[in-house]
Amino acid sequence: MTVTAIRGEAGSRRFAFRPMRMRGTLVPYALITPALVCLLTFNVLSIAVAAAVSLTNLNISGLADHSQVRFVGLANYRAMFVDPAFWEALRNTLFFVALGVPTLVVGSLAIAIALNHSKSRFFRALRAFYFLPAITAIVAISLIWGNLYNSQFGLLNWLLSVIGKGPVEWLSDSTIAKFSVALVAIWRGSGLDTIIFLAALQALPAEYYEAAAIDGAGEWRKIFNITLPLMRFAIFFVTVTTLISWMQFFDEPYVLTQGGPVHATTSMSLYIYQQGFRGNEFGFASAASMVLFAIIAVVTAVQLRGRRGEEA
Amino acid sequence: MTTAVSKRVTGMALLVLAVWAAACSGSSSSSSTSADKGPIQIWTMEDSKSFTALMQDFTQQTGIQVQVDAVPWANVNDKLTTAVASGNGPDVMQVGLSLLPTFQSAGALLDLTPYVKDHPGLQSSNYLSAVAADKLNPSGKVLSVPWVSDVRVLFYRTDILSAAGISSAPTTWTQLHDDATILAKRGQGKYGYYIPQWDSALPVEFTWEAGGSVLDSSGKVTFDTPEFKKAAAFYISFYKDHVVPTASDFDQTQGFISGTTPMLISGPYLAAGITSAAPQLNGKWGVAMLPRDVAGTSLFAGSNLGVWHKSKHVDASLRLFDWLAQPTAQLNWYKAANELPTVKNALTSPTLAADPMAKVYTAQLQDAKLLPLVPKWDKISQALLDSLNSIVLKGADESSTLASLNQTVSSLQT
Repeated sequence: MTVTAIRGEAGSRRFAFRPMRMRGTLVPYALITPALVCLLTFNVLSIAVAAAVSLTNLNISGLADHSQVRFVGLANYRAMFVDPAFWEALRNTLFFVALGVPTLVVGSLAIAIALNHSKSRFFRALRAFYFLPAITAIVAISLIWGNLYNSQFGLLNWLLSVIGKGPVEWLSDSTIAKFSVALVAIWRGSGLDTIIFLAALQALPAEYYEAAAIDGAGEWRKIFNITLPLMRFAIFFVTVTTLISWMQFFDEPYVLTQGGPVHATTSMSLYIYQQGFRGNEFGFASAASMVLFAIIAVVTAVQLRGRRGEEA
Repeated sequence: MTTAVSKRVTGMALLVLAVWAAACSGSSSSSSTSADKGPIQIWTMEDSKSFTALMQDFTQQTGIQVQVDAVPWANVNDKLTTAVASGNGPDVMQVGLSLLPTFQSAGALLDLTPYVKDHPGLQSSNYLSAVAADKLNPSGKVLSVPWVSDVRVLFYRTDILSAAGISSAPTTWTQLHDDATILAKRGQGKYGYYIPQWDSALPVEFTWEAGGSVLDSSGKVTFDTPEFKKAAAFYISFYKDHVVPTASDFDQTQGFISGTTPMLISGPYLAAGITSAAPQLNGKWGVAMLPRDVAGTSLFAGSNLGVWHKSKHVDASLRLFDWLAQPTAQLNWYKAANELPTVKNALTSPTLAADPMAKVYTAQLQDAKLLPLVPKWDKISQALLDSLNSIVLKGADESSTLASLNQTVSSLQT
């Protein structure tokens, strides 16, 4: 009797246990399914489609009549690698990244530390002011900056003429135009990066600063020995996201110069856009975007790996 | 008695029934002859307000409803791509002539050949010879009909030219260059002429004027001709002699109004821009036929109308084309939107002859040609501009750059 009871108990427990364990393994999967489905359909699937399209001659005729689409192997990639405009776009993108990312990370961090100095009304107003570029529409920005830079009636050249200097071809000289376009992007990107740094700064524990103050540390010492080490993760995060967005640099050259003069400000993304949407060569543009995707993936992976090494 | 009454009632009932049936069939047959009442959906460029106003007359006269959607010029290509990919388009599209090859190669437009004999508006004889059916569709189909025309002429500031001692607009290449040189000497920051750096039609016009063509005998685009070399040299000479601005963001309307660049080649839309931005300049500027070298051929631009290949209102759309091809509709549109007619009978109207500028436009339209209607033209013209601009702006070597342009152009067409 007891034996059967025990056996029965054990049996029922075993019986109850199985579905419990099953549920235990299924629940996490069920919970991540929506996110996974989104990721698969909107990211993985579209990358796969682009990869497949990059091996075809898909253009606008092919879009209308699918029987005209042909598999062309790596012909798009070969054509791209001999196109001087592709290499120029790649060089320009590297230039923009090398100029924009360090400037933005260092500049935004400096602004954030300065803004964090006080909680007075004036500083709170300044914070809102520094965030303004990030929430202004790119079309409005391009209109204003286009007018500032304009060679006929621009404010910048007028100011130069007031102090007796000759006009500068802000958007027409192939070297200066690169800097002009990057400057607008730096100005626009600074708002968001500053806000992220500010949030991180405000989460830093005050005790460290009090202890340092008691030990007689000055402002600079506090910044270099407490703030920067504690901000490592925020700096890493901002660097990764800024780097990715600069490798996909598009808006500013698109609206200010359309990539000109003669490709001088054409970034990789703009090159892809011009091939795909102006030339209607979707196969070729997909090949170019696969190359950009590979570059961004490699750069980001290297950064993540470096970060892991640092933590270990 | 009862049977007689019932018979009479039955007879009356039958009569009523017969009359009713006749009335019914009558009404149904009349509705089937008037057929397609639309509504037809039209994609036009920009000025939808004036076009909607024009369409009110059409609806009043024909009973066909029209829905007008304006597409900004900058979005035409995106809109077309989406429409082609999804298969959902309007019934009628306005197609700028520069985009016509793309629309045709995308198969977006219905072949109207079977309808031509029943629709006077589709017949080529109505229209200027530059946009005759065989020139628009070398493959022999009728995929679109001309709607409005646009032509390049020389704009010049009469006040500035006469102050510099130039009594009339230049009529030859040599005069154009000489006058530009004189005008550029007015002082620092002043120029004699303006070349839009985005305008791929200008070097082509120069080639035509030099007596050449940019198409070879097999219909392929080529820049490997002595006439093109001459045109390129003429184009480059303006930069070499510093008589044109080099800034890529130079605004042509502002430049003309301020007098910085008192001469340029442009279309009637510039006239509208000047009149609205600077009415005080009225009478201080004029238009003239293009300066000639061997010829004075200009660019024929403008827009056509086509029927979307999946339209369910082809009949109503074609009746709209017939209606728009009438000289009155063409002239009403000219008054409303300042866009020139394509119909020959409208172009000879006294309304146009009374306007000194329209007189120049209509005269120049007689000597104007279409850009090559090949699908690769976008890429070819971009390569053309890149080459010329790198010579004039970046100092690239002229002969080697033009040689590599020829290579690019021929490889784009293999």
